[in-house]
Amino acid sequence: MRQIRKVYLVLISAIQLTCFAQNKEILYNFTSIPQSSMLNPGADVSYNFYFGVPLLSGISANIGSSGFSAYDLFADNGVDFNDKVRSVINKTSNNDRVQVNQQLELFSGGFRIGGEKSQSYISFGAYQEFDFFMYMPKDPAILAMYGNQNYIGKSFDLADLSVKAEVLSVFHIGFHKKINKKLVVGGRAKLYSSGANATSTKNSGFIWTQQTEGTPNLYTQVIASHLELKTSGISSFTKDEYDRSIASDIARNTFLDGSLGLGIDAGITYYFKENLQFTASIVDLGFINQTKDIETLTYKGQYRYDGVKPNFSQTDEPGNIIDDFEKAIPRDTTYNKYTTWRPTKFYTSLQYSFGESRSSEDCNCKTSAKRKYANAVGGQLFLMSTPRTPFAALTAYYKRSISDGLDLKATYTVDAFSSKNIGLGFSGTVGKFNVYAMVNNLLELKDVTKANSMAFQLGFNFVFQDAEK
Amino acid sequence: MKINSSNRIFRILIAASLFFSCASDLDFDQTKDLKLEPVVVANFAYFDLPVSDFGYGGGGEIAFDAKEFEVFKQKFLRENIVRTDIDFELENTIPRAFIVDLQLLDANSQILETLRFDIPANSGSTNIIKYPTEVFQNQRLDLLKQTAQVGFVVRMLPGTPLDQNSTGNIKLRSGGTVYFEIQ
Repeated sequence: MRQIRKVYLVLISAIQLTCFAQNKEILYNFTSIPQSSMLNPGADVSYNFYFGVPLLSGISANIGSSGFSAYDLFADNGVDFNDKVRSVINKTSNNDRVQVNQQLELFSGGFRIGGEKSQSYISFGAYQEFDFFMYMPKDPAILAMYGNQNYIGKSFDLADLSVKAEVLSVFHIGFHKKINKKLVVGGRAKLYSSGANATSTKNSGFIWTQQTEGTPNLYTQVIASHLELKTSGISSFTKDEYDRSIASDIARNTFLDGSLGLGIDAGITYYFKENLQFTASIVDLGFINQTKDIETLTYKGQYRYDGVKPNFSQTDEPGNIIDDFEKAIPRDTTYNKYTTWRPTKFYTSLQYSFGESRSSEDCNCKTSAKRKYANAVGGQLFLMSTPRTPFAALTAYYKRSISDGLDLKATYTVDAFSSKNIGLGFSGTVGKFNVYAMVNNLLELKDVTKANSMAFQLGFNFVFQDAEK
Repeated sequence: MKINSSNRIFRILIAASLFFSCASDLDFDQTKDLKLEPVVVANFAYFDLPVSDFGYGGGGEIAFDAKEFEVFKQKFLRENIVRTDIDFELENTIPRAFIVDLQLLDANSQILETLRFDIPANSGSTNIIKYPTEVFQNQRLDLLKQTAQVGFVVRMLPGTPLDQNSTGNIKLRSGGTVYFEIQ
């Protein structure tokens, strides 16, 4: 119980601090789990019909923080918190990021269409998702922590401020069809409903202090600011008269009154040979039109600070430093609709299977009477769009069918968060009841607070294959 | 069949046990201890006064002005600055000695403090004086925080008379080093 609480705290803190990758490298192409269709709608998944246990069919969270861990900041070890913050600022770069992604399936299901011989499937469902992504605001953090005294000549880059967060619900319906023995194709249409969005990813500008001999002033000081924060579904919470519950309002907006958007997933599975399989998919190629309760806050302009200069020869013109600053870099609020793009994910894999499985007599007879291999090895590539360069991860994996009801997959992943991320997942089926669970970064499980990333997925389904003969 | 099922459940439990993990104690309350202590350098005041701009008032006063200085109207600055150092530098290329008085005035134009800087007449070589740092802490800082205007009085001391052909400038440059404690 205590551990659960800790993990919960870690999750919460990570959500507050940073953002995470959405790679689900273990679940991808794990075709005994219906939810693998959510990562590749063209995955070679088959069933007569299935439905997920409501609210429990797909629970997943991904937290990643390159550069520092929860332990670095929050360890209960007597070190002064400010020293920890300084140490984190020192050891991170502006390309380090914090990323959080959490999904909860509300319901999901699927069924075969077109009769017993058909290999066409419809799947559908709804899930709630939370995304947070932030780059380490290195320069602004240095400025706030240390000031400019020891950084004469340095241009503090305001582009280091890059953060976005969103709570949304997704309603989806997908179709996949095994066209022939070699090819499975599929697609999924998604309706997004965003309850809250905050986006501040297109910032630029600098704060610069220089000391040059021969100039009339001691310092040359310039602030050039092009800061912009767009929000949707949030601004009413910041008003004084707001007196309801933020959490329940966001929940209501997410499901009933959100900003709407559309997206698609598409994917294929192709068998070069019976035991050599290629897959590729694109997930969340879509956008949201942010239209509800929108507010954009900007600080745009340039200001050069010179200090007080007396005017000995004329009567004074009015004006003072603060006014001048606020005129040069005004705070503006506008109310324009804006469009956000979903973080688009791309997966591809190549898999080689070997060793025929010992088929037990009480087999559950997957639709086609194809040979079933006990082992598979493969490689996967994951790419995801971020505000700057895409996030990439490479995975090698080994998959094994222990029996008809139990499959295991082990992964080794290299990405920005870790170079030795080992993951393990299983899918177990007892009768019609399917359980799956997976967790990555096993090497860090001995102390999750020191991990740079953690992810897990788990869920419960009822899967009905063709009736036993 | 039954044995097989329980065997499976057993295997699933084994696999599930992999998901138990450990975590160090974390203390999130310590975020309350966060204290930012940036040290910011910034221009304070400056002028460049050529002989040609001199006016001639009584008592050798050749220039006077008071400028609004509303920085300390900002509550954030009043509350979070714990120390301010101000460095002054005068350059005189005129063959006469000067006194520059820099007055810190409150909102009612009452003088809170006068900083006096003497600079000798220029005798040919570089004539720049960097004055000892003025340190504002405690009560002196409180006075500084009441400053709403800065007055500049430039007085010329007796010496060789200047005429319309005289050249040269008296220049002031100054910068503050501001110590914040933001909690």
